[in-house]
Amino acid sequence: MSFLMNRHTLTVASLCGLLLMLVFISYAVDVRVFTRIATTLCINVVMVVGLQSFMGNTGILSFAHIGFMGVGAYTSALLTIPAQMRGMALPDLYPFMEGLSASPILAIFLGGIVAAVIAAAVSYPLMRLSDAAAVITSFALLVVLHTVMLHWSEVTNGPRTLFGLPAITSLPLTAIVAAGAIAVALMFKESRLGILARATRDDETAARAMGINTPRVRWLAFILSALLAGIGGGLWGHFVGSFSPKAFYLKETFVILGMLVIGGPGTITGAVLGVFIVTAAFESLRTLEVVLNSAQIFSGQVVGVTEIVLAFSMIAVLALRPGGLVPTREIGDAIVGLIRKRKG
Amino acid sequence: MQADIPTTALLASNITVEFAGLRALDGVTIVINPGEILGLIGPNGSGKTTLINAITGQVPLATGQVTVAGDVMPLSAPRTVALSGVGRTFQIVRLFDQLTVSENVETAALAKGIKRKDARKIATEILQEFGMLSRAETIAANLNYGDKRRVEIARALAATPKFLLLDEPAAGMNESESQMLCKQLLELPKQRNLGILIIDHDMPLISRLCDRVHVIASGKTIAAGLIENVRKDPAVIEAYLGSSARQDA
Repeated sequence: MSFLMNRHTLTVASLCGLLLMLVFISYAVDVRVFTRIATTLCINVVMVVGLQSFMGNTGILSFAHIGFMGVGAYTSALLTIPAQMRGMALPDLYPFMEGLSASPILAIFLGGIVAAVIAAAVSYPLMRLSDAAAVITSFALLVVLHTVMLHWSEVTNGPRTLFGLPAITSLPLTAIVAAGAIAVALMFKESRLGILARATRDDETAARAMGINTPRVRWLAFILSALLAGIGGGLWGHFVGSFSPKAFYLKETFVILGMLVIGGPGTITGAVLGVFIVTAAFESLRTLEVVLNSAQIFSGQVVGVTEIVLAFSMIAVLALRPGGLVPTREIGDAIVGLIRKRKG
Repeated sequence: MQADIPTTALLASNITVEFAGLRALDGVTIVINPGEILGLIGPNGSGKTTLINAITGQVPLATGQVTVAGDVMPLSAPRTVALSGVGRTFQIVRLFDQLTVSENVETAALAKGIKRKDARKIATEILQEFGMLSRAETIAANLNYGDKRRVEIARALAATPKFLLLDEPAAGMNESESQMLCKQLLELPKQRNLGILIIDHDMPLISRLCDRVHVIASGKTIAAGLIENVRKDPAVIEAYLGSSARQDA
């Protein structure tokens, strides 16, 4: 019983319950568009929770996250595009890579591991930086990753669309992976490393004076973040079936960041809530765009409403509630607080 | 002089610190012995906090070296100094604001590699000692100033330091809080064989806590020794204690 009352268990259970509800509703309404939206939402939960693991715990904004999503997607693609399609999908592929093969599920997780290994290899020096310098270097890292994806034709097919990924990503699969990501992120947050990372976030000088190895704890958080981004990328790749490097750049970075900033980077509850709110808003606004364009109310086409609303929402949240909608307390903390209050 | 210093002491010798050509500390040497409380006093801007920052590796030294229980500390390495057993508090409280009181205290133990479960146990014991256990789950940012000061000291103690450097620990506390803190600090050297360096402007507090004091003015040592002797030192009276003390003397 005390296990059930544990605030961390309650947080995971509540957030996973939300995902489960989404799956049930999707099966109940049985509308293909809804299932697609719900699947994308679950993939975004993996992505945003992954970003929260680094940004929420260290307080450093990272632009590189979506780049690691790309690494995961391309790795999974390399391992799963059927042999008979490889010649067309990847005409410049290195001969030694032609025999690479793995089951899609395994490939998705290997994509996460490759992203984590690359993050581990390139990011340690960057973890010594703070504030604006850290943000700018993370942006530079995104540019590097994007440029590599754009020009490494042998592996990515260059700027051209890469196709042929088996479409194995289903709503239940993404919901399970999203639930796993939530549990892992919460375990990290409450672990020794998570607390040390959060200490460096709150006061770097005091953290150093206490003997905390700031670059190391940030580095480990960054690796976890890249791992989840890579897994998210693999899931997405096997959902859409084809993509090009432009799928992993600024527009997508902006959406993922918007979800986290609106929900609250300090909590996993905020990250998940941000995905739900922004997805709901996006889909409503897209529908509005379609309705406005079909009704021909304006002389020209109405486009970009979703991005503009997201931008204004981010500005509003940052101005009025800088910590996001759920800044500090996880949902489990709130539930335990309520129960204690009722008990008096 | 250094031949008499026990190998278990913290020795900061010939410390000089410069900021853009301005000499904030000029050849200061200070010794903190285990089990004693040493007072560090001086007028505002005399370099007291800079000395703590220099000892803990948070400002680069122009000259000098810091030795902790016989180990020479590398330059500008606050982490190494902390892991060698030197804890500190700050003039302006620096808690981890979004962490709970308990988590704040745990971090010091966790930084030393202690497991989470054990760190929590250590935090519970220290918070009980400081009368803060009932507020263990409070977010640190929501504490009042006096409690923040106490949590900062508790946090420093959770790392089981050999030496504790306290920068105005009673600042912002009312009389009763200050008295209670004084009582707790007096117990620490005996209980933990801890050497404490304390900066404070409250002379009655320094007198109650310390046997020895070290006085600096304009970045230089002007007196050091037993508090009774230092109080009578003309240079100290002139530089720090002022005319009222001159009358007392």
